[in-house]
Amino acid sequence: MNALIGNPQEDFLVLDEVKTHFDMGTTLLTRESKGVVKAVDGVSLTINKGEILGLVGESGCGKSTLSRTIMQLLRPTSGHIWLKGRELSAISDADIRSERINFQMIFQDPYASLNPRMTVLDTLGEAVRTRHPELKGDALRGRVAELLRTVGMNPFQMKRYPHEFSGGQRQRVAIARALAPEPELIIADEPVSALDVSIQSQILNLLKRLTRELGLTMIFISHDLSVVRYISDRIAVMYLGKIIELGDAEAIVDHPLHIYTKALMSAIPEPDPNAERNRHRIVLEGDPPSPMSPPDGCKFWPRSPVEHSEELKTVEPPLVEMQPGHWVSNCPFCVGTDHQA
Amino acid sequence: MTDHSETAVLGKDSAPVIAEEELVEGSSLWKDAWARLRKNKVAVGSLVVFVLICLFCVLGPFLSPYDSNAQDLFSGAEGPSADHWFGTDTLGRDLMVRVMVGGRISLMVGLVATVVALAIGVIYGATAGYIGGKVDASMMRFVDLLYALPFTIFVILLMVAFGRSMWLMFVAIGCVEWLSMARIVRSGVLSLKKQEFVEAAVSLGYSHSRIILRHLIPNVLGPVIVIATLTVPAVMLLEAFLSFLGLGVQPPNASWGVLINEGQANMEIYPWLLLFPAAFFAVTLFCLNFIGDGLRDALDPKSAKD
Ligand SMILES: Nc1ncnc2c1ncn2[C@@H]1O[C@H](COP(=O)(O)OP(=O)(O)OP(=O)(O)O)[C@@H](O)[C@H]1O
Ligand SMILES: [Mg+2]
Repeated sequence: MNALIGNPQEDFLVLDEVKTHFDMGTTLLTRESKGVVKAVDGVSLTINKGEILGLVGESGCGKSTLSRTIMQLLRPTSGHIWLKGRELSAISDADIRSERINFQMIFQDPYASLNPRMTVLDTLGEAVRTRHPELKGDALRGRVAELLRTVGMNPFQMKRYPHEFSGGQRQRVAIARALAPEPELIIADEPVSALDVSIQSQILNLLKRLTRELGLTMIFISHDLSVVRYISDRIAVMYLGKIIELGDAEAIVDHPLHIYTKALMSAIPEPDPNAERNRHRIVLEGDPPSPMSPPDGCKFWPRSPVEHSEELKTVEPPLVEMQPGHWVSNCPFCVGTDHQA
Repeated sequence: MTDHSETAVLGKDSAPVIAEEELVEGSSLWKDAWARLRKNKVAVGSLVVFVLICLFCVLGPFLSPYDSNAQDLFSGAEGPSADHWFGTDTLGRDLMVRVMVGGRISLMVGLVATVVALAIGVIYGATAGYIGGKVDASMMRFVDLLYALPFTIFVILLMVAFGRSMWLMFVAIGCVEWLSMARIVRSGVLSLKKQEFVEAAVSLGYSHSRIILRHLIPNVLGPVIVIATLTVPAVMLLEAFLSFLGLGVQPPNASWGVLINEGQANMEIYPWLLLFPAAFFAVTLFCLNFIGDGLRDALDPKSAKD
């Protein structure tokens, strides 16, 4: 098991204290600052080649901002990101373009993520040519057909437009587009939450299979823990722009340490009716605080059912490795044994 | 359509070559819009009438025995007759030929100025919207500034500075009309920019020009086409107005604006001099407006099938 911040030269993807803040500017007349949204506020993480890392958390906790930051669609306010020994966060805007084929993204809404004026062939062909600019004509069509087969689509449909496909099919095309430049890292930001439940498992299985067969590494984002539990090797739990628990998927699901993770887990319905009847729910009070004014100390104290000491309302607990490979924000009030899931 | 049993692994399968003819043709949003437009009787009727008027003006003078500037003082100001279907003006010129030739000028002003406005407006607006931030703010401030400039004074200044010329008028009108085009394109691009397919294009490392030309502009073209159709009549009205002021087309050359101006001077005695050019002008304006409305309905994404 690697350290939280691994060796940037050896490990596949390393994040070191990444922060992405949005400055909301100043008011028009008085020139007062409108504040800063600390969407991602110090994330450190090491991702191994070939693994699927699930990223979960409530809406607004910064999952999409973190993924856009790794994708270099947003540049981090501070901190470092290394992919295969190259520090992405240090590459200039002009030079990052040619690096982008190495990391691709699958978006949430398949109705918005495909250009409605372009055929599938044009969309995929354009993406293929980022890696193979020499391909055209039959060779390009052949390659696009191959991509479509890979994602389980009929290649003879390649001259059709996005509006002629269902949501699930569009998401397959979007997946094919992400695969087209032959990236090593794929970030999937809620790739199934816009789809019918019946389609969700097909797409999940496809993503899982592709990751294995093509040797990809994937960051899979969702607010739905049952989905993340199914697909991930490891799970990171995010709260207010920070990771508060990280570990193997089984450890996080079966033996969560942080009360917030326990609350998320207890919200998953059990498939077995007996277990479902005995399911003990930890219900979280209220909404998370605004990322513009996060609380000091343990980020979770305002919502925690356990009263925190004054010290932990001011001093932030560090992430510590409680068990091998299982990291948790070390707040004695949130990480206890008395509140079982 | 999706086939799960036969999914292949990238690179391990050598895919058979796919022949172009075997592919199922898709139906683009443009095709769908065209199909919707064809069902709109008013728009199609207007389109037919407009095309007929264009043909009449462009081809007519070649078929007519009269020259548009040939004066025949013995048959001045005669009403419509078998020889002169639209009658003659006070100088004995055949009115029908003058309406045709004037129509050429009016239509050309409308089209050329609209194309100029379109080219400048689309590129300017798309660039401002795409770059955003401070660049966008100052680019649009410049547009606001030009908007605030009184157009007539602007044109008079141009004419005074460079002398009267028809081409100058095209440029002057085009320079004014691109402003609203730029605003529309910019706001369209601003809202498109947040769409995931543009983010996908950025994350694929496409160049800025590729993103603007292939991903942004085609998706704002719908409203732009509608505005362009409505700009043509607006420009023709402007030309008529300028000609009325004596700043536009100069006699003996004619435009519909010039003919209407001449006609209204003798409206009470020789009504046909006003009637024919005004009728052509009005019908053309109506047609273009109906076509524009029809296009708006046909291209409206809300009525588009999804
Ligand atoms: N461009 C932006 N400007 C200002 N604030 C932003 C911007 N993007 C995101 N935020 C804010 O940052 C915080 C995190 O947003 P983000 O979209 O990353 O959350 P998320 O975890 O992906 O939520 P969801 O599950 O709803 O997608 C939110 O409070 C959001 O309002
Ligand atoms: Mg999100």
